[in-house]
Amino acid sequence: MKYKKIFLFIAIAVYLSTLSGCVSEPEIKVVNFEELRPVFHQQNDVLYVVNFWATWCAPCVKEIPDFMEVNSEFSKSNNFKMVLVSLDDSDKLEEAVKPFIVDKKINDVDLYLLDDIKRMNEWIPAVDSAWSGSIPATLFIRNGKSLKFVSSAIEKDELRMIILELMQDNK
Amino acid sequence: MKTFVKYFATLMIAIFAVSSAFAQGYKIGDEAIDFKLKNIDGKMISLSDYKDAKGFVVIFTCNHCPYAIAYEDRIIAIDKKYKAMGYPVIAINPNDPEVQPQDSFELMKERAKSKGFTFPYLIDEGQKIYPQYGAQRTPHVYILKRDGKKNIVKYIGAIDNNYKNANDADQKYVESALDALLKGQEPEVKSTVAIGCTIKTK
Repeated sequence: MKYKKIFLFIAIAVYLSTLSGCVSEPEIKVVNFEELRPVFHQQNDVLYVVNFWATWCAPCVKEIPDFMEVNSEFSKSNNFKMVLVSLDDSDKLEEAVKPFIVDKKINDVDLYLLDDIKRMNEWIPAVDSAWSGSIPATLFIRNGKSLKFVSSAIEKDELRMIILELMQDNK
Repeated sequence: MKTFVKYFATLMIAIFAVSSAFAQGYKIGDEAIDFKLKNIDGKMISLSDYKDAKGFVVIFTCNHCPYAIAYEDRIIAIDKKYKAMGYPVIAINPNDPEVQPQDSFELMKERAKSKGFTFPYLIDEGQKIYPQYGAQRTPHVYILKRDGKKNIVKYIGAIDNNYKNANDADQKYVESALDALLKGQEPEVKSTVAIGCTIKTK
């Protein structure tokens, strides 16, 4: 009888641990611009779609489900990677950014929070010389070469067409 | 026929000039257009109303944007300090309230009252003015210096380099530019970029 109880306890514990494994913490790297920069300089024929967003930015939040849908169409390709760079206040990582990532089922993307607020005037032009700093903004880059930069929201069909075209160019 | 072609060509050039001016907005040294926009007290405000001003700190800002909110107290402080020296703040909300209801005229009045704005807070009804300036986000500052009847753009960009903590901002772009202009010099840093909210349009 006693063993039965212990067995039950272990079973529940194992069950709970797998559950928590399913809703594991999203991995978001908090970085400064130097630490983010390697993403822009990969020489691996991968098309990186780098989206700058924030949880407080309504048009960003609106377009992210579309980005996730398009990402699911391409994410199996070895030549494609979507990257989301949150510009949220780093103090909001736990209370706002992580819950958002879980809630919107954001997966198969690399996640960063760019915590480098005092040097905006340096890294914004380094991402794209035409960028005024408004978000959402999306950079399409491969082998260190910026292929396209869009500093406004992108509709789902438009995003898909841009990616298809850029993936085609590399064949 | 020849005159027609000439007229047509002139027209096309004019259209091109206007559309490109709209698309790009002002650069440093350009003359900024005056406007007549409704203030939160219902009165219409123009730059030309300010007979004694040496220039203006025109700030495209709004109610809802977290960056705009973070800078409210600093905008009030800039107005208090520099209005007396001839550079008043003129705040303009460029957003379409139908797209961003928090930026409605009524809520602008409320926000200005609760924060104790010391400067006019105008609404860009019909969104005609911000594209001419080329404002792309909130908050977006244009410092103008009066030259006779003209207002010349001297600085475009952010207020300082730390939206989160005013005490830790070690580059106060707007104040440095104003201090230079007051000394009869050109601003050392003439334009900066910063993260901000997009201007809301249909």
